[in-house]
Amino acid sequence: MTRIMDHPILGKLNDRKAIPFTFDGKTYEALENETVAAALLANGIRTLRIHEESGTPRGVYCNIGHCMECRVTVNDQANVRACLTVVEQHMVIESGKQHPTIVKRMVEQQ
Amino acid sequence: MNSNEAIVVCRCEEVTYGQLRTTAEEHQCTAREIKLRTRAGMGFCGGRTCRIPLDRIIEDVLPNVSQGDIPLKYQPPIRPVSFGTVGEKND
Repeated sequence: MTRIMDHPILGKLNDRKAIPFTFDGKTYEALENETVAAALLANGIRTLRIHEESGTPRGVYCNIGHCMECRVTVNDQANVRACLTVVEQHMVIESGKQHPTIVKRMVEQQ
Repeated sequence: MNSNEAIVVCRCEEVTYGQLRTTAEEHQCTAREIKLRTRAGMGFCGGRTCRIPLDRIIEDVLPNVSQGDIPLKYQPPIRPVSFGTVGEKND
């Protein structure tokens, strides 16, 4: 857990309920009304998806909903921004996978 | 200058500065054409990150080029939407 439990300005962080959610099959704990990106970061997960074509790992970047780098699949709804979605009870989150690029390979082979 | 070749200008499509420079110099193209050739600016973020650097690269490579007939601008929808929200029948 890498949360700041006792922030000099924001104060203590111990009166919030823990909410279980699953990410890629494993269950993790998040605090109440915490975003998916923050909850995963607190659990030590920084790679939210991999690039659809080249597979390079990607994670949270702007954290305010512009860059779309943190898009994950939440309850079968794809391309949901993890940095803007609040964790709910028993949320099922899957990370982004690499997509096949069949046509591009064919073009390159010609 | 060669150490900058690997700088990724377009994060969504992973187009590096080197690719953009060579394409711009080889084809002497406008910002829109370089977008079409290298896909820089066509990514999921809608060109937010690399639209301005693309214009700068073109101004740098071709100082005299005009803005071109169709400038690089945000295209609707400005946020990604699923087909469901656009066309779902929920009557």
